Amino acid sequence: MIVSWNWLTDYLRLDMPVETLTERLALRGLNHEETREVGGDLAIDLEVTSNRPDCLSHIGVARETAVVFGKHAWFPEPDPQVVGEDVHELARVDVEDPDLCPRFTARLITGVKAGPSPWFLRKRLETLGLRSINNIADITNYVLFECGQPLHAYDYDKLFENRLIVRKARPGESLIAINNKKYDLTTDMLVIADAARPVGLAGVMGGLDTEISESTKNVLIESARFDPVSIRRTGRALGLSSDSSFRFERGLDPERTEWASRRCAQMIVELAGGTLHPGVVDIGAPAQPHPPVVLRYGRIEKILGIAVERDRARAILEALGLDVVAETSESVVVKPPSWRADLEREIDLIEEIARIHGYEQIPEDRSVPTALAPRGKRERVEDVVRSTLTALGYDEAVTFSLVSDELSFPIFPVESNDRPPLKVEHSTRKKETILRRDLVPSLLAARRHNEARGEPDARLFEIAQVYHPKAESPLPDEPTRLAIVGGGDFRALKGVVETLLERLHISDQLETELVINVDVFEPSTLARITLGGSTIGYMGSIHPIHRDALELRQACYAVELSFDVLIDKADLVPRHARISDFPAVSRDLSLVSPNTVAWKEFSSVVLEVMKNDPTFEGLTYLDSFSGGNVPAGFESVHFGLRFRGRDRTLTGEEVDRSVAAIVEACRQKLKATLRT
Amino acid sequence: MSSPEAVDDARAFAELDALLSEGLGAFAEARDSAAVEAARVEFLGMKQGRIKHAQERLKTLEPSARRGYGQKFNSVKKSLEEACEEARNRIGRSKPDRAVRSVDLTLPGNRERRLGHTHPLTQTADELIDLFGRLGFEVARGPEVEDVRHNFEALNIPPAHPARDPRDNFYLSESSMLRSQTSTVQIRVMEKRKPPIRVVAIGRVYRPDVVDATHSFMFHQIEGLMVDKGVTMADLKTVLRLFAASYLGTDVQIRFRPSFFPFTEPSVEVDMLWHGGDRWVEMGGAGMVDPNVFEAVGYDPEVYTGFAFGLGVERLCMRRHAIDDIRLLYQNDVRFLEQF
Repeated sequence: MIVSWNWLTDYLRLDMPVETLTERLALRGLNHEETREVGGDLAIDLEVTSNRPDCLSHIGVARETAVVFGKHAWFPEPDPQVVGEDVHELARVDVEDPDLCPRFTARLITGVKAGPSPWFLRKRLETLGLRSINNIADITNYVLFECGQPLHAYDYDKLFENRLIVRKARPGESLIAINNKKYDLTTDMLVIADAARPVGLAGVMGGLDTEISESTKNVLIESARFDPVSIRRTGRALGLSSDSSFRFERGLDPERTEWASRRCAQMIVELAGGTLHPGVVDIGAPAQPHPPVVLRYGRIEKILGIAVERDRARAILEALGLDVVAETSESVVVKPPSWRADLEREIDLIEEIARIHGYEQIPEDRSVPTALAPRGKRERVEDVVRSTLTALGYDEAVTFSLVSDELSFPIFPVESNDRPPLKVEHSTRKKETILRRDLVPSLLAARRHNEARGEPDARLFEIAQVYHPKAESPLPDEPTRLAIVGGGDFRALKGVVETLLERLHISDQLETELVINVDVFEPSTLARITLGGSTIGYMGSIHPIHRDALELRQACYAVELSFDVLIDKADLVPRHARISDFPAVSRDLSLVSPNTVAWKEFSSVVLEVMKNDPTFEGLTYLDSFSGGNVPAGFESVHFGLRFRGRDRTLTGEEVDRSVAAIVEACRQKLKATLRT
Repeated sequence: MSSPEAVDDARAFAELDALLSEGLGAFAEARDSAAVEAARVEFLGMKQGRIKHAQERLKTLEPSARRGYGQKFNSVKKSLEEACEEARNRIGRSKPDRAVRSVDLTLPGNRERRLGHTHPLTQTADELIDLFGRLGFEVARGPEVEDVRHNFEALNIPPAHPARDPRDNFYLSESSMLRSQTSTVQIRVMEKRKPPIRVVAIGRVYRPDVVDATHSFMFHQIEGLMVDKGVTMADLKTVLRLFAASYLGTDVQIRFRPSFFPFTEPSVEVDMLWHGGDRWVEMGGAGMVDPNVFEAVGYDPEVYTGFAFGLGVERLCMRRHAIDDIRLLYQNDVRFLEQF
């Protein structure tokens, strides 16, 4: 809301610098955006919150300024002269839809001289950033910005049968508005029509045909109230918004409807000539006064934390235009003024007292009682995962939850994937309308972004929710996932997963087993990841077909894990296990076996044969070798063994016996022989 | 003839002489620190050194000889220690000539693995959670896809309210939507628990704003809620001042400007002015929980009062790290990420 400094001085004396005015107003509820100088006047832009439509006018801002600075404001009381036939003889108005139009008034002025506006009127509108149109249209705008009540002036002679009908649009009707655009109307839109056709979109914009022109002689002035929701819907549906619709949507002062009409008529007669006909067409009942509200003085301190003296509290309410209806020592009953529909409850009054008394009165040094706020397990697990992955060289990404079709392919098959993914109904984004079900595709897109900028191997991870539609509920499941992408190879990524589990002290057996029914990953490297037997995710290398579709040039590995399982299984307080004081003995073995034998089989055999040997400490895969003197179809597997006595230094003979047992077991179960 | 004991005593004194002369010789001949160390271990070592044996020898002597032996032992030990020290100093001084020339100390350090970086939004969020945790606020969470009851109705935003317009929200159906604010979590917490309550909710929120340097259709909010008997706006101001002071690490003043939110009353915008600062900076919105919100979750507003506040994580993060375009936060360009 832009206000003119000069215009405000019509209503009260401004004897303070503009900076003082705007700062004090900002601290009392009218936030200051900026002040600009416009041709000797100051255009002060104030932000008016949606609960205060009464401040969308110069009178409203003057009223507020008077309260804030303890001044008196004067407002005009128009009393135009009337001549001739009563308006009811010359014009007729019917309101067919009183729910959407609770009040409609019309006045008639004949014999006007439409033309350019006088200098002062043009100047004032110019300060507000408005272009002058003609004196009649400018006056309706002036009164709108003076008191907040929108008005419309019709060229009386262009109205069929000189009548107005407030009704819903009929099927197939359209209107060319004063902005010269044609609008097709729907039957839920409220229009102002004459006997033949719509001549205006109620509360939003007038029609071109009946607007005031140089040749206009007789003017019918509309001042009305319309249902805010209806105005908003019509405006939204047509993509139209105006200073009028903005105010209708927020609610008007019901006692300004007739005043504004009178004020407008008086100014037209003064500035454009003509005669005002007696009477006013006035349809609909005046609005009911707002019901009284009780304020218990004791509640003020309970909310604000400071006491405000009774007299001071009551004086603030009275200054704001509330009438004291009754009072006791503990409470006061007040009636809000017509322009404050927002004052309905005790808490509304307390806010008024707080804001005028001043929030700076509220102290900021209370002692807040201590309370326990332990860090939750989820936060602690997130910390461990983030610190581990960053130590391993991965950067954390934050990607959008909404994705395009292109990025909506499945990674982690879940039962809800049979249902279509959730989509938003309306978006400012053309493509990103789907709520993602997996994280990996978004990270692949981020990898592509980096590739295109010269970083071929962006290693990224993200922890975020995904959205899985449920059959029986409108709200989806929102499991949390951890996704990781990077170059390298399968074992590198598996090592990352293993490190994570180790840092979270998850001792359940990690298994990765080949699966082939998911098309995103290359089948030969797609693995289902299980932990203690239950599936926690999938990993593998992204299939070249998908890489091509995403324009990813570099090979890429990805893993998508259930983060909820990690939280559940993480052991953040591990127990100490006794360590031996004695040295370890290491032995490396190379065993040649058929190349169909997986490492898992080797490790199972070794662990099985050593399970009762207290000196066995562990085995480590080192590498595999084929070719050379290893026969075709066979592979040499090289691994390390570690032994250690709990209570003594082991002898070579002891270790030799254990190793021999391992070699023998591998020979029997895996047809493996020592490499020579 | 001397007694066997006397002969042995004399031998002990001779051994001390030999120890001294051999020791001094060894330290004098040492040419590098390894040799000095070897000599030190041989002569002065506390476990197996010859000085140790010489000390133990004292016990085998006749009482009459012990005093003299002890004095001589002490002087030998002192001489050897001085020789050792002197040899160390000598080697130490001559060392740089060779050692420094063989290594180029100006070469960069070896950094075998590039470290990753946590996202600046996470860093900011973690810090906020940490600071509010110290003030007694624990983390609460809620779903990102919400029903209109939690996103609007219970927050005192009735069906005709402009904030519910389909164009300003991501509706998924008539009854569900992507949450437009983390205030939804307030409702979920209060539905489940009775006061006293002190929680912060942090997370993603969604509004179909047109994306530009300062707007995104997805962003993050942190929302605090404190409800108990006797909670007032003075407590709100105090908590926000303590938070701002610890976030900025300096003394801070807090200013409230009247504002409007459907779910709080009185509602305020919060500004902060830090020590030495020259202008007020917007922090976020706050207010006392509206009685209608309490009624929606079954709290008696006559008994309980509370405050809520909401801060934009992106704004705090961008201001803190001098990031001038919000879109950078979601591009995940590693050249951006590795700056944090």
